[in-house]
Parts: sequence; structure tokens; C-alpha cells
Amino acid sequence: MRDIFFDLSVRSVKLNFLRSLLASIGIVIGVVAISSMGMLGTNMQLQVKDQLSTGANTLVITSDAVRIGLPGSNPTASSSSSGITKTQLLKIKQSAGTGNTVIPLYRTSTEFTLGSVNGRSSVYGIAPNDVTSFLTIDNGTNLEGVNDALVGSTIATNFNLKLGSRIHIGKANETESRPTVRIVGILKARGMTSDNVNADNAIIVSRDWYTAEYGGEDQYNQVNVIVKNIDTLSEVKTAIDAKVNTDPKTPVIRIQDASSRLSSITSTLSTMTTFILAIGGISLLVAATSIFNVMMMSVNERIQEIGILLSIGTERGEVRRMFLYEALILGILGGGVGGLCSLVIGYSVVSAMIGTTAYFFLPESIVYIPGGMIIGMCVCVVSGLYPAWRASNMDPIDALRSE
Amino acid sequence: MALGKTEEKVGGPGMNETPLIRLTDVSKVYHLESGDFTALNHISLDINEGEFVALMGPSGSGKSTMMNQLGILDVPTTGELYIAGKDVARMTNLERTHMRRDTLGYVFQKFYLIPLLSAYENVEYPLILKYKKRDTTGKADAVLKSVGFDKAMSAHRPTQLSGGEQQRVAIARALVNEPKILLCDEPTGNLDRKTGFQIMDLLVGLHGEGKTVILVTHDPKIAEYAKRTVTLEDGRIVES
Repeated sequence: MRDIFFDLSVRSVKLNFLRSLLASIGIVIGVVAISSMGMLGTNMQLQVKDQLSTGANTLVITSDAVRIGLPGSNPTASSSSSGITKTQLLKIKQSAGTGNTVIPLYRTSTEFTLGSVNGRSSVYGIAPNDVTSFLTIDNGTNLEGVNDALVGSTIATNFNLKLGSRIHIGKANETESRPTVRIVGILKARGMTSDNVNADNAIIVSRDWYTAEYGGEDQYNQVNVIVKNIDTLSEVKTAIDAKVNTDPKTPVIRIQDASSRLSSITSTLSTMTTFILAIGGISLLVAATSIFNVMMMSVNERIQEIGILLSIGTERGEVRRMFLYEALILGILGGGVGGLCSLVIGYSVVSAMIGTTAYFFLPESIVYIPGGMIIGMCVCVVSGLYPAWRASNMDPIDALRSE
Repeated sequence: MALGKTEEKVGGPGMNETPLIRLTDVSKVYHLESGDFTALNHISLDINEGEFVALMGPSGSGKSTMMNQLGILDVPTTGELYIAGKDVARMTNLERTHMRRDTLGYVFQKFYLIPLLSAYENVEYPLILKYKKRDTTGKADAVLKSVGFDKAMSAHRPTQLSGGEQQRVAIARALVNEPKILLCDEPTGNLDRKTGFQIMDLLVGLHGEGKTVILVTHDPKIAEYAKRTVTLEDGRIVES
């Protein structure tokens, strides 16, 4: 059997249904905002984690000096003093140990033209033998001739590239003749990986072709070490560090593994998630003001009723409870509807922004819906605290006299 | 009986047992911006169990203030007020609330039923306050029946009832916890003459059953129903 004070609160909400509904809409919006934004951020983190787990056994080594091959720049201009040198590469190979694969690669960003269509992508210079160590050719063959190229799945789809297509590398308005490569293979999609090779949106050429075009021979932008046994990853990292960075005060190379990259990226995403959650939280603050206003109106309209209740023996705590129930009902109404809307809107937002809902129903993502609902309800109850306190502390004589 | 002599205790005729209500030199002063206003001025009065007392007096004489003191909605500025042997000034807020719930039954001029509750729920409400659960004993129904309400009428909300019906519900609500004292503040003030007399017959019947009834009225015809009349003027008892 229900509490009489809960019944009174339900009836009061029903009596002023439209007003209560409008106040609850604020909570609905707030719950949807924090739930959807939270789920979006979490789904992004989960996707990144999942993708970075590919290549988790890879150490990414870059020069600690200014890097060569910045987008739009002529890499040869700075290659003489940047990048991983042949000597450093040799030391890396020596300290990496047997069984582990060391892949030196060049990298730059450039424009290209296919027919009359211009595009932009990364260009990697990799030894043909190394390509299949970490990339999978979905269609076609590996690099054989000097002018052969492989393209990533995204770039192939976006530019409708086919095997045998020829691509002009470089800016279209340059007067000099531009080098051309022929597509011999299309790579399998990888997504985001922790080996710092964004192959999906890249053109892979041989090292010879790359250095012939861009110079910088034996000045590698990056060296990847694929460790056969992932348990020895840290051990290999330490060995390379000790061998190459002989002076700890002035390290010459930077070695990153998947966990440090993952931690760096998830930390950034986590900050973003917190920020967008805070924006969602602002809408709940606005909703709290609305609930407070409605509760104050409810108290002011029922002053005489409060006087009756107090004069016939209702405890002040019971009056307080009655108004807190009313605030909670608004919270349950707003939180419930908000939770349902969050499910639909959150799903749509995640699908539209991330492109997959594979992580949507995972506990760490879906928990934002009940979390948002509970926060919405708590906001309502907190907003009702002062009105409830005010109602319970009225003087019964003054309250009875009010009209 | 000496009139206006506040130092002399005013008691009911032939009553020598411990009074149910005792006011000793009670004053109530309101501190207003325009200055202090003394609503009750050194009142001393005993009301014994089973009495039917009418409080009379012109507007502003202190009747309502007196009822607020007796209903423990307010406390005296000075003096002592004992109800059922308890010093009201020494009671906590919660104890006063419980006394209002258990010992006193209040009937108001404007009925003051809870608009969101049906007639039955209004009567059941004090039982819920006391026992912290809904009434399963049929007591609320029985009290409503005793004031002439059937099941069908009990389901109506206050706004669906006439003035007389609302006042019957208010009396039933005041009676349901079997209070020792029934305080009636102008109970016929908002009713037509005929209905007013019906309500008074009801109160006389309750007094006949042993209830202590204290009635505020300015209508001498209504006051005639009481066995004793206390007349107030300018916050003092002028006749008892």
C-alpha cells in the first residue's frame, strides 16, 4: 500500500501535469545530453583501443630531432640533419635481437592527381620485403617494379582507384613533370593502429622510388620493430634505448610502444569526453533551475494546504517528504523519458559520428544511460530541497490564513 | 464570579478535578511594526474533561488567538498552558505535533479539507499519521457513517460536496483519532442556518458521549448549545 504523501505528490503532479511535463523536459534534455555525449566519448575510446590493439607488439621509433617530410615541405631540405641514420638503424637491428622484424620506412605527405581529380595522402617508402610483414594486400600483388605502388583501402574507395591505374604524385600546378606510379595492389583496411602507419589513406612505394624522388636516403622517418613475443616488448625497448640513446640527457631517438600511445590517445579522448559531459551538465543546471521554479510554485500554491497538514498533526519531516517526492516524481518522469530518448538519440549519434555501433551496448558505454537517469533524478531532488524545507518550516497559523 | 480579575482562576461550575486544560496568567503579545499588540491579556481559565464551552466575543477580542493557543498552533508569550497535564511551553515541536494529532481534534470555519484527497481519505489521513499505515480496521468508514456519510459519498473530493457535507467530513476527521478535546472554530460560520443547527446537534451528541468540546462563535443562538460560555473582550475574560 502506497505512502499517503507519495499519493499526494502524484496527485499534485497530475493536477499540474502540463507544468510538470515542461519542467521535466529540461531534465530529459539534460539526461540525453550527458548520456549521449558520454556514450559518444566512450565509444570513441573503445574503438581507438580496439584498433590500437592491432600492432600492439610494435615499437615505433622516431628521431628525437626535427622530423623530416612535413606536409607540403621538401623533405630533402632537412633530411641531412634529421631522421634515423643508417648507424642508428644498425644499432637498432643489433639490439632488437633475432626473430624480431625491423622495418625502416620513409614518410611524407603529398598531393596526387588521378586523371583530373586531385587528392592528398601520405606516401610511405618501404622495402617490398617488409610490406607483407605488417600489411595485407587485399587485391593485386606486392611491389616489384620501381614505379609500382600499393594504395590503402580508404583512398582506393574514395578515388575509385583500380589495379593498373596511374597516379601523378605532386602538386598539379607544378611546371616540372611529375612522377607517376602504377597501382599494383590494394591493401586490406586496418583502421587506426598503434604502429603509426596510417595505411588506409596512404600510397606505399618502394624505398628506392621514394629516395629517388624525395632524397633523404638513410634518413628514415620511422623505424618499426615488430616483436615476435609481446612479453619481451619492454625488454627490447630497453635494449634499443640503451644501445642508441647512449647519453640519457640528449636522447637521439624516441621509442614508443602501444601502451604509451594508447594511454596518450585515451587520455586525450577522456579529456574530450569530460569536456562534452560538462557541456551536457550545463543543460542539467538549466533544468535544475526550472525544477526549482516549479517546486517553489507548487509550495506557494499549496500554502493553505500545508497549513492544514501541519495543524492537524502532520510532522514537518512528512511535509518535507511530500515535496521531495514531488521533485523525485519529476525526476523519474524526466529521467525515464530521458533514458529512453538517450537510447535512441545516443545510438544515432554514435552511429553517425563513429560509423559503428559495435561498442554501443558494451557495459562501459551503456552505463551512461542509467548514470544519466540517476544524475537527472538527483538534480531534481536537490532542486526540491529548499522548496521542501520552506514548506515544512511554515508557521501553520500564517499558512492557514493565506488565500 | 469576578469579571476581568485575571489573578483569579476561572473554572467550570462544580468541577473540582484536575482540569483537562489550564491556562494560568496567559498573555500573547504580537510584536508589530506599529508597536506591540496584546491579543491575550493575563488569561486564567480551567476547562475540565467533558465540558462543552463556548468562547464568545466581538471581532478582535482574542477568540482566534485563544483557539490557536488551545490548538497548540502557537505558544503563549507569558504564562502557563497545560493540556492533558502537559506544559505546552516545555514540549518539543514534535511533541506538540503529536499532541495535535492524538489529543486534539480541530474543526475549522472554512472546513480546511485536503483538496487532493477524497472525503474518505481526508478522514483516514489522521489515522495514517498516527499509525503510519493505511486504515484496514474500517474505523474511517465507521466515523464517516456516524456523521451521515455512506460509501458513495465518501469517494467524493471536497469540491464535490456541499458546505454542510464538508463540515461533517471535517468533524469526522477531527474525531477519527478519538481526541480528548474537540476544538471548533466557528464551525457553522460558513453554513446556512438549518445546516448550522444540524452540525451543532452533531456536536451536542459528541459532548453527550463524553467529548470535551470548545466552540468559538459570535452567534448567541449557537452559543446556547454549550453548557458554559466564556466571553472575551480586548484579550480579557469578561464573563464566564
